[in-house]
Parts: sequence; structure tokens; C-alpha cells
Amino acid sequence: MVLKAFFPTCCASADSGLLVGRWVPEQSSAVVLAVVHFPFIPIQVKELLAQVQQAGRVGLAVLGTWCHRRQEPEESLGHFLEGLGAIFSHEPWLQLCREPGSKLWSCKATRWQAPPGPAAPGEDQIMLIFYDQRKVLLSQLHPPAVLLDRQAGDAPASVGDLAAVFDTVARSEPLFQSDRFGEGPVRLSHWQSEGVEASILVELAKWAAGPVCLLLASLLSLISAASACRVFRLWPLSFIWSKLSTCEQLRRRLEQLTLIFSTQKARSPAQLMRKANTLVSVLLDVTLGLLLLSWLHRKDRIGQLADALIPVADHVAEELQDLLQWLMGAPAGLKMNRALDQVLGRFFLYHIHLWISYIHLMAPFIEHILWHVGLSACLGLTVALSILSDTIALLTFHIYCFYVYGARLYCLKICGLSSLWRLFRGKKWNVLRQRVDSCSYDLDQLFIGTLLFTMLVFLLPTTALYYLVFTLLRLLVVTVQGLIHLLADLINSLPLYSLGLRLCRPYRLAAGVKFRVLEREAGRPLRLLMQINPLPYSRVLNTYRLPSCGCHPQHSWGSLCRKLFFGELIYPWRQRGDKQD
Amino acid sequence: MEDEQSFSDICGGRLALQRRYYSPSCREFCLSCPRISFRSLTAVTCTVWLAAYGLFTLCENSMILSAAIFITLLGLLGYLHFVKIDQETLLIIDSLGIQMTSSYASGKESTTFIEMGKVKDVVINEAIYMQKVIYYLCILLKDPVDPQGISQVVPLFQFTGWAVGLQRDSSQRGAVRPELLPLRPHPCRLDPLVVGERLQMQQP
Amino acid sequence: MACSGGGGPSQPPSPALSSVSPGSLPTCRSCSHNICMVSDFFYPNMGGVESHIYQLSQCLIERGHKVIIVTHAYGNRKGIRYLTNGLKVYYLPLKVMYNQSTATTLFHSLPLLRYIFVRERVTIIHSHSSFSAMAHDALFHAKTMGLQTVFTDHSLFGFADVSSVLTNKLLTVSLCDTNHIICVSYTSKENTVLRAALNPEIVSVIPNAVDPTDFTPDPFRRHDSVITIVVVSRLVYRKGTDLLSGIIPELCQKYPDLNFVIGGEGPKRIILEEVRERYQLHDRVRLLGALEHKDVRNVLVQGHIFLNTSLTEAFCMAIVEAASCGLQVVSTRVGGIPEVLPESLIILCEPSVKSLCEGLEKAISQLKSGALPPPESIHNIVKTFYTWRNVAERTEKVYDRVAGEAVLPMDKRLDRLISHCGPVTGCIFALLAVFNFLFLVFLRWMTPDSIIDVAIDATGPKGAWTRQYPSHANGDENNEESETR
Repeated sequence: MVLKAFFPTCCASADSGLLVGRWVPEQSSAVVLAVVHFPFIPIQVKELLAQVQQAGRVGLAVLGTWCHRRQEPEESLGHFLEGLGAIFSHEPWLQLCREPGSKLWSCKATRWQAPPGPAAPGEDQIMLIFYDQRKVLLSQLHPPAVLLDRQAGDAPASVGDLAAVFDTVARSEPLFQSDRFGEGPVRLSHWQSEGVEASILVELAKWAAGPVCLLLASLLSLISAASACRVFRLWPLSFIWSKLSTCEQLRRRLEQLTLIFSTQKARSPAQLMRKANTLVSVLLDVTLGLLLLSWLHRKDRIGQLADALIPVADHVAEELQDLLQWLMGAPAGLKMNRALDQVLGRFFLYHIHLWISYIHLMAPFIEHILWHVGLSACLGLTVALSILSDTIALLTFHIYCFYVYGARLYCLKICGLSSLWRLFRGKKWNVLRQRVDSCSYDLDQLFIGTLLFTMLVFLLPTTALYYLVFTLLRLLVVTVQGLIHLLADLINSLPLYSLGLRLCRPYRLAAGVKFRVLEREAGRPLRLLMQINPLPYSRVLNTYRLPSCGCHPQHSWGSLCRKLFFGELIYPWRQRGDKQD
Repeated sequence: MEDEQSFSDICGGRLALQRRYYSPSCREFCLSCPRISFRSLTAVTCTVWLAAYGLFTLCENSMILSAAIFITLLGLLGYLHFVKIDQETLLIIDSLGIQMTSSYASGKESTTFIEMGKVKDVVINEAIYMQKVIYYLCILLKDPVDPQGISQVVPLFQFTGWAVGLQRDSSQRGAVRPELLPLRPHPCRLDPLVVGERLQMQQP
Repeated sequence: MACSGGGGPSQPPSPALSSVSPGSLPTCRSCSHNICMVSDFFYPNMGGVESHIYQLSQCLIERGHKVIIVTHAYGNRKGIRYLTNGLKVYYLPLKVMYNQSTATTLFHSLPLLRYIFVRERVTIIHSHSSFSAMAHDALFHAKTMGLQTVFTDHSLFGFADVSSVLTNKLLTVSLCDTNHIICVSYTSKENTVLRAALNPEIVSVIPNAVDPTDFTPDPFRRHDSVITIVVVSRLVYRKGTDLLSGIIPELCQKYPDLNFVIGGEGPKRIILEEVRERYQLHDRVRLLGALEHKDVRNVLVQGHIFLNTSLTEAFCMAIVEAASCGLQVVSTRVGGIPEVLPESLIILCEPSVKSLCEGLEKAISQLKSGALPPPESIHNIVKTFYTWRNVAERTEKVYDRVAGEAVLPMDKRLDRLISHCGPVTGCIFALLAVFNFLFLVFLRWMTPDSIIDVAIDATGPKGAWTRQYPSHANGDENNEESETR
């Protein structure tokens, strides 16, 4: 098996010394983490390694020697390095050497004990793989390996090769905290951060964040306790809460804020990412909401809106009245059952009359209501959108009523027709067995059944026409509401932070790695450059999408058409989602 | 160490296969199809513009002409960036993994790396594709839960299509030695035995 | 083809690679054929046609031919699959219209079928079942491409009603230039010859077969305290389920120690359930639902008498299987059933409730008096009647004969269509044949035959399968079948 040596690019120019890292026997790969420079005292090196091992729970060891020949070949150094193998015994012992002036490296792995079996003792085949320590340290491999539940164990045993490398680098972070310029007992060469800009501000923010979060979290818990109060659970109120999308939206907002200000530390990177995503999406939402608010409250737009609203409602009602008048005549040249037609038409007309008087009763207060409602936009654009959706639902309540009446009537007729058709064929529906049985009917039963069947058949077109017209109106309203919900959902569920991270720091979200073969010369070990393969945007979206309230269309087009045909009621998407939850 | 051979793809177009041997444990297979030809590009552009000009003479609206130019440019960019693949590369590194790279005509590269531990086998499979029956090379990935099962089938060279070349140019077979073998001998014989050909590869 | 050498020194491309059109292939005289079985009906669907195709193919592979099967996709089972001994099955993604039969437009299947015929270097197309639209399509396309065709008819048809008049007309067209037709019984041959207005000389009779080792009697599985009547059939109109629903109450009232075991599924199942509920026979009539073929024997050996109520049947495999299991068979006298078993093993009745009841009573009285021969002896008699090897041998002779025949050129084919199928139909189909030919020319221009790569042989004389795994091929054939069935 080929021995793989993972070597950090930042150590390529380091002085000669010892290679410190981890040996993964399953994949026979050596992950070099740092170079210890001369001079050192072996005991101190071992102590340092023990410290890091305790902090990161990762088995570090001295893997071999590193020799950087700058000018002249130093024969003595070479012998000295070989001799070090006796002090830090490791199996196999790596010897990396960089030639002066050339990019080529020589590499040797020696096994002291001959491995069992016929394989020749001595040197293995070696493959050098360079990696960027910083990127590997900061990046997060997707999909997260089984490491999460292995956190307690000291080393991942059988996860993939690369996951082991990533894990090793991530766990030995304490090693990188020692400063290059610090005067420690041991001098190390590895990657280290250049320092954070404005780090004082960051420290201040960190210091302040704790108490602020605590305060806000307690406030939020107070609010949620109040909303969970028993008064709100009484029958009519709870029913209304469940139907209004604004309440749903407010509840979500509360949950989001609780998540953001929770004082618990995020346990895993995924949770941290979720928190950050929620924060950014709430910020964006509120910003958009404030913009909307400022636009609304400038130049008395609210007043204009309120003035426009009543005529619109009136206009809709008038159009409906015209439609009903048309239906009561001979719509599209169809000849309907006159009596039934008149009854239905009058019934609906009376309804519209009631509705108009209700609207006019409300007219003086609408501006105030709108003004107060407009304030809610400071909670976010999504809340404002939900309120808009609810307003539309309230203003088109008469359409909903018509639709329900029409659908119920139609459904009744269809049911009656289908069961009478079964009677016609000498069959009946067996409720116990859920199947159609054959059955012999009396002459009277057959006569009455046939009579009823005929009547229903001839009355069906009138009902069906009313049903059709009002269903189309209802579908229009549902579509508009659905679009508004989709928009709100988009704002709520877009993982903006992850997308920004992917855009600016592609290596932070890794889908895997890719290798590039560096130029080589015969007889020298193969050299590969390991680069981080960033996650594609589609997968970023899929992985980090915030849980939305599930207002995707619950049923397919086929089932929708079927429901429409049989006259079953159709609800907007949002409410269906709630029912299933 | 490099050699190059030419094959034909399933539609009869020319393909060039390059093989590079970096070391005994590292090999690269690179399959490239001819670059976009200037003639076809000109032909398509001219057709679109002529059609736009025809429309322009009919409705006398100069918006059509500018729209046509935009559409051609956007279409060309999109085609080069998302559709046209010039080259597909398969890098096999022993005991590390298999890396697939496809380079688009615009220079964009998309890379996937599969660790050797996840690879169950590499086979040539047969499938019905559009109105054709074709051979294709694919990697079978191990199911992490069930070591015997296959979790995914990753087709190789799916844009340029290679296996056909192996079939037709049988006199020039080199590193690839097809042999027919069932992968899953199943106790119930009526169940399908996936039959394919194994790509000769030094497994660890 | 050449690739199956398995890494040997590179061979020159075989002559088949250089040939351009499959029509110009030299017809193979040396009794080894490349056969393509086409039918809509194949596993995982279950029935007589399916097992016929499978067993025949296996025996032909054993005799050294290359066989592939083409059928339509069944649910998730699509693409290319291999069965025992490297039998390759193409499950084509075609739309299923009715009763597992694909919709036909005469044209849409041409590109795929042509591709398969060319890449597999098929020389003989063998279509099965006249209910299968795909089989007729394949015949039509094969003739356009100039390949030899054989057709096996598995069913009987009427002449009177509108639907059968139409179907018969289509069959006439489809079979008018088919090289050879195989029927499963003499009744079926007469029927087919009359329906399709064929020359009787090109129609052969090769019966179906059963695998006697699969259907062995087991007298210890049945309870001799009661008499059990077994019915195994699909519960559809053609199989006479309505007759069965009349027989059950009558006999159950007469004989208190009589039980029924009914295996099979179908739209008429509800009739039987109603009968069972109306007469409170839940403990005496067992409905087993759909049976897998391997379970059929376990059901058969539980009974004493096998009842077959079919209204039409070309060759009833079920009664042979039942007789092989040592049951006394009572059946209707329809179609080819009288030819299947000798008088001593079967009681034939008219297809009416009264006659069938009389026949069953006769069988019950024989059983009670102990006049029936023991199951073992019945099995030993039946065992020798029908074997798949025999069927394969006889089919091979048909192939040999067909391979020697000349394929009609296009003009003669059109002449024949017009003269043979009547002026109107003939002209329409001649026009369609011309269109089909033009479509084929277009396809040949789009993807020339030389571009289509040759499939690797799994079976046949140079089969890679047999080379790689001699143990598979040498395995006892009976053993193989018992495993798969």
C-alpha cells in the first residue's frame, strides 16, 4: 500500500526539524501538522504533544524528520536526523528532504521492524500531498461525516480518509495557537492567523452579548408565556388564531428570536450556521419592513389607500352582482332550470347586499385600522405580507361563502347521482367491506331511485354552472394568497449567511477535495496538491434552507382536479399545511 | 508518458483519448471532443439574425433587432458555460480515489472526487438511452449501511461517451481489458444479474 | 463479440463489424441462429406465454443458439437485465395501454427495435401471442428490415362479433408475410389458419410443455377425510369464473365433506366472494388470491380433483400440471383441451353448470369407490408427454427451415399485402409499409448501421457467459428450471 504524507504548504519553507503530526494506520497516511525547529529538548517536545493531545483528544506523535538544505549539503545533519529516529521511535519513520534550488523533494519512509509477511522490509512507496492548513482548518466537510456522535471517542476509526485528515487538523487547533514569535521552550512552524482586525470591538461585543441575550431571552419567554395563556385557548379564539396567517407568522418570528437570543452555545457547526442564517434573514426582513413603513407613512399614503379600498370593495361587489344577474338569465346561451336558477341567484344576491352594508358600516374606521396595522411592518416584511394576505381573505369573504355553498350543493348532487347510478345497475356500496356488491332491489325502490336520478341529472347543469363560476373566482383568490405566502416563505427560508459565505469564502463550505498532479521527475515521489472543492450553490440552498412553514402545494395537479370535479372544498395552501402538522 | 488515440462516440463524432501515466499508482484518462466549430457558430448566428431581420421588415420595430443580438450573445454564453463540455478527465490515484473533472468550453471546471473506500467497483453497463441502447462506464458506490449493497451509480464520461469507443475499436484496446462477469450472483436466478465489464484497476 | 476473448491478443474485427446492414448478412446455415423473442408478456408478469418464452429460450441456449428477449417495461423493471445462463432481456420503455399490452402506432417502436436487431445481429424474429401489439410491431419492422420471422399463436379467437372480426383482419395483415407460424394445438392451428387466411403448410403444431420435475405428487399433503377440489386460474370471464360460481353452492349442498381451494386473482373474484358469503361457505371455500408460479404445486397437491372451467383455451397447461401432480382432472370440452390428455386421465364436460356438476359427481364417486389410479402412476404417465427439450428441438427445425427461405423484396411484399388482405386493408397497410420503409431509411441516414456498436454475446456459440462460468452452463438443466420457477 502506498504511504500518503499530507504536508502543509506553509511549512515548505521552514527550517529543518522534526515533523509533528498524526499517523492514521487504517489508511496508512501521515498527516503532518507542524515542524519543530532545532534546537529542542526531546522531553519538552513530548510534553507539548501531550498537552495538545489532552486538549484536542487526538493522538499526536513525532512522525519523522524534515530537512531543508539551503545552501550546501550538510552531511552531518543528515546523519543526525537519522539518529533522531532512535529517540522518537515511530513506525514508519519519515524522512523528508528538500533540495536546494529545486522544487523537487526526496522522501523516504523506513520501517525499523520488518513487517510480518513476505513484503520486503525497508522503504515504502510514498505519495506527497500538499494541503493548505488554514483552509482545511476552517472548512467544513459536507455532508458531515459520522463524526458528530463520535465526538466522545478519541479518534474516528473507520470514516473516510479525507474526513480523518480534516478531523485531525480541526482537533489539533490548540497546537496552532502558539505564536511563532513567542518565546516558548519549543519553536514550531505552522500556519497561524494574522490577527483579527478591530479585535477590541469584537471582544467588547462578545463581552456585552451575554447579558443582552439573557435580558432579551427573558423578555421573549415572558411574551411566549403570555401568548400561551389559557384565555387564548378558548374555542372561538383558538379557531381564529389557527385561520389567520398573521398569527402564524408572529409565532414563527417569536421562535426565530428565541433561537437567536438563546443563551445556550451552539453545539454543532450546523446549529451555528442555522443561528447565523436566522439572524441574517430576520435582519433583512426587518430592514425591508422598515423601508416599507417609511414609504407608507410618507405623504399620507395610508389615507389614500384607505380611500381607495372602499370603492374597490364596492366595485368587486358590483361586478359580482352583474355576474349573478347574468347567471340568472341565460348565461352563454344555456337554458337552465329557471326555478332553481332564480332561487340560487336571489340567495347569492342577498348575501352580497349584506356584505356591502357591512363594508359601509366599517368605512369610517378603516383609515385608523390601516395606520395601526401599518406599524406592524416594523416587525418585518413577512408580517406585513401575512397581514395583506389576511386582509384579502377578509375582503373576499363573500366569494368564499359562495364557493362553499356551490361546492356543497354540487357535492351532494354528485354523491346522489353516483349512488343512484349504482342502484340503476343493481349494485350497492358495502360500507363494511368498502366495495361494491350486487344487490336485488324491489320494483318500488327502483322506480323511486330512477325518478330521483332523472331529476338530479336534469338539475345538475344549473348547479354545476354556479359551482364552476364561483370555483374560478375562489381559485383566483387562492392563487393570489398563495403567491404572497410563497414570497414570505422565500424571505423566511433563504439561508443568506451561508450563501454569502459561499460567495466570499468558498473554502469554508467544502463538498470534498480535488487533487492536482504537480510536475514530477522519474524516481521521485509523486506530488499532489489538495484543494478544497466548494459546495455548489444548489446544495448550499438544500442543506441550509431554514425550515419553512410548509406551504408548498400539498396535492398534485391531478388530485386537485379530482377534488374540483367531485366538489370537495379547497383551502389555501397555508391552512392545509397546518392541518397536517 | 502520454499516448493518444482517437475513437468515435455514439453519434459517430470524433473523440480523442489521452492517457497519461504519472506513476505506477497514478494515471489520468482524458477524453476530449472537438471544440465548437466556427462554421456552425456562424450558421446559427446568421439564422437568428436573418429571422430577426425578417420580423423587423414585417413589424418595423427595431427592438427586435437588438433583442436578437442579446439573445444570440446570452445563448452563446450560456451554451459555452453550461452546456458545451470540451473535455472530461478521469484521474485515478491508487489507494486515494477517483477524480472526475469536466471542463466546459468557457473554462469552467466541475470536479468530483470519490474516495477509494467508497468505490465498490467500476463496470461497463448497458442502458436504454433515448432511442438507443448504449454501453457506459460507471462507478458503483458502496452503501455505507449495507456493505454488499450499492448506494449509487455514478456514470463516467457521460457527456462525451467513451465506452462505445472501446467497443468499436477493439483492436486498439490498451489498459482497459473488458471481461464479462456478473457482479451480484443472486440465489434467485430470475432476479437481474448486473452484468458489466470491469475496468482493470489496481485496487489496494 | 471479439471482446469476449478476455484480454487475449487483439483479434481483427469480426466480419460482422464490417457489414453494413443486417439484411446483407450471410444467412447462417450451420444451425446456430441469433434469435430475438418479442412479446409484451414476460416476467414479472405470470402466465402460460411468459413461461413458454422463458423455457423455450433456456432450451435453445442450451442447444447453442443466441437468444434475446424483448418486452416492455414492467414498473420499475426497465432497461436491460440478464436471467439465468445469460439470457438477455430488454425491457423497453413503451407505454402500456390495456391488459399489459403496449399501444401501437406501427412506427414509434421502430428506432429502438431496429437498434436492438442491429446491435445483436439478430437473424430470426420470433413473436409470441396475438394479443401482444409489440409482437405484431416487431413482425412488421422485421419484414421492413428484411429479417426472417416466426410467430407463435397461444390463443383461440371467435369469428362472430365485431371485435374478433377486426382482430382477425389485423392478424391477416400481420401474418401475411410471416415466414412461419407455430400453434400450440391442432384446434389452434385450424383456428389460426381460418382467421388469418393462411397457407396451412407454413403452420406447424408444437405443443406447450410443463416441467414434470416441478409438479410431483405428494399424497401426504392432502387430507383424505374430506374431498378437495382445486381451481387454479385467473379469475376472468374467459376462464369461466361465472360457471364456477354456479357450481360451488350446488355441490357444497350435496356433499358436506367437499372443500374448494381457488388460487388466482382477477376482476371476477368478487363474484366468488359473494357466493361464499351468501351461502356461508367461509370454512369450505378458500380463496388464495394471486399465486406465484412456484407456489402452484403446493396448492395442487392439497387436492384430489382439479377443475378447469375455461370457455376458450388453445392448450391448457394448467390441466397438464394438475395431472402431473396426480389429480383427477375435470374440464370443459373447449378448444384444444381434448387433445391434451388421454381419455383415461380427464373427464370432459360441456361448458355449463349442469354438465360440469355431473362430471364432478362422477369424479367424486370414483374417488370414493377408490377407482382412481394412485397419483404416482398418473404422474409417471404424464411425465413422458410434454418436455421443453422436445419443444426446443421442434422449434429449432422450424428455424432451420425459415433460415433457408428467401426474404420477400419490398415490391413483392407490397403485391402480396394488396392481393392477400383485400383491396382496402391491403392498400392501407401497403402504404403504411412504405412509410415504415421510408422511416427506416431516415433512421439509417441518422445513425448508420456501422455506427451502432455490437453487443457482447452472453449466450450462443461464442457466448462470454458460458466461457467465463462453465459451471453455470453445465449445470443440470432441470435443476436450473426448478430454481427459477
